[in-house]
Amino acid sequence: MRNSTLVVSCHGLAVERRRERVIEGFSCRLQPGELTAVVGPNGAGKSSLLQALAGVLSPAAGRIDFGELDSAAIPVARRAQLCAYLPQAEVPAWSLAVRDFVALGLLPWGKRVDRQRRVAAALRQVDARGFSERPVTQLSGGELRRVQLARLLVGEAPFLVADEPTAALDIRHQLQLMQNFRRQADSGRTVVLALHDLALAARYCDRILLLERGRLRAEGVPADVLKPELIGEVYGISCELRWRDGVADFVPLDLL
Amino acid sequence: MNRSNAILTLIVLALPLALIGALASGPVTIDLGSALASGWRGEGSDAVILWQLRMPRALLAMVVGAALGMGGAAMQGMLRNPLAEPALLGVSSGAALAAILLLYYGLAWQAGWLLPLLAIGGAFAAVACVWLLAGRGASASRLVLAGVAINAFLSALMALALNYAPSMFAMQEIVFWLLGSLANRGWDQLLLAFPFVAVGALLLFSGRNYLRALSLGEASAVSLGYGGRRYPLAILLGIAAAVGAAVAVAGTIGFIGLVVPHLVRPLVRQDPGRLLWASALAGALLLLLADILVLNFIGAQELRIGAVTAFIGAPFFFWLIVSARRAGTL
Repeated sequence: MRNSTLVVSCHGLAVERRRERVIEGFSCRLQPGELTAVVGPNGAGKSSLLQALAGVLSPAAGRIDFGELDSAAIPVARRAQLCAYLPQAEVPAWSLAVRDFVALGLLPWGKRVDRQRRVAAALRQVDARGFSERPVTQLSGGELRRVQLARLLVGEAPFLVADEPTAALDIRHQLQLMQNFRRQADSGRTVVLALHDLALAARYCDRILLLERGRLRAEGVPADVLKPELIGEVYGISCELRWRDGVADFVPLDLL
Repeated sequence: MNRSNAILTLIVLALPLALIGALASGPVTIDLGSALASGWRGEGSDAVILWQLRMPRALLAMVVGAALGMGGAAMQGMLRNPLAEPALLGVSSGAALAAILLLYYGLAWQAGWLLPLLAIGGAFAAVACVWLLAGRGASASRLVLAGVAINAFLSALMALALNYAPSMFAMQEIVFWLLGSLANRGWDQLLLAFPFVAVGALLLFSGRNYLRALSLGEASAVSLGYGGRRYPLAILLGIAAAVGAAVAVAGTIGFIGLVVPHLVRPLVRQDPGRLLWASALAGALLLLLADILVLNFIGAQELRIGAVTAFIGAPFFFWLIVSARRAGTL
């Protein structure tokens, strides 16, 4: 049942929102086993890029390949099996019990999967088995994020896309979440996250894509992208960035 | 069996009991047993009353109740809002306006099927307007907004029609029709409404996984494979067919579409998919019970079933708010 690994590559991708180009000429290659962070100032196009990768927005130009196939040519149900997506603000509409909420991630699979086993496994991965019957509307922010992560993982998609998953979480939950995404990548999945926290991106991610006004400004391993001059220029700030044993110490100083 | 399933089973078991109750209710007392035994072609006044008057009316109450309950569940699911009801999309107003125009010109009684058929047409026309106004790739919220706008316009037209009603008689007829009623409905109306309600139900059930996916929001639903115009269109057409047909034969009966999904949502673990059939069952039962109340009400004027459902529905909402206030969930 487990999908094999998936290489995702973008070729000259352009994305439009309300007839305005928000991503232009974007090319990249996302590898299995790699955790990639998409960073950039607000409005740089991070969310739009992720939505295009997740199939929520259609490319206005260029294409996104899943393996050898143009993802636009893959039937939507199959595409949903290959790629799981967690939007920035996913507010549950009904007070579903946690395990029913997580099971929604199995919708692309229809009745062909053992729902109970999969849901239990996903809840175990995020350490949420203790409250599988609680209504999702009564969870704390951190608990809800874990449950949403379980929803993301339950379909065992080889390609995971999450938009600012650490936003509004306390420090402990941020670390917990990043470690979980790290494990997902280590188990052979292709994982891409939009992140605002550059220190977290440097600490956990293999690669960083830096977006500026819809274009890819820089990409590479964290040490190559997170340079004070470059970050300072793109974000319009002055900052200090020191590396100690592979951990970035990032201190924003002032506006430019 | 847990408590929720027990209640759902009770609803299913209560339906035939309520049906018998409805068949036994009416201005004259009939020998129900022998009338039933004499069969469809039975001679004698009891058999005629049962088979030609009470049976179609009771069945119609169930069909209309099911359509309204299901339509409400679909509407709330699609808009992710527990306060949505089918009337929001202008379906009821579209049907009502068509009916009013017919009553207006006194054409309604030319043929028993003319009014319902035109009213169903009105419902579809209203939904078509909503769809066109909302435009390509409309989000659920834009659909509602378009629905509210079309609804407002249709209400204005209805007000105008009432304002210039040709006679007091026509006006009274229109007002009574708007209150909703199952009186004097027979096999004609049932046979006309049933296929539309059935097709509507099929369309809505075909969208049940879309409604489930939508509980995560629109972007997540698309990423789960439920994007495109196909699903919202199926839901909209389903509501137009089911609710349009219900309004066409029984007038605008309020509150069923709003209250019933609320009532049964806890019984189906809040699942917007299973809520469809649970609301259909509960809607059928509730409207049948309301009609029993109407049938046993003694007064100079016929008690309109729309007034009864409003009297059940509004206090229910008081209770809902008070209990939510106590539980701190609102």
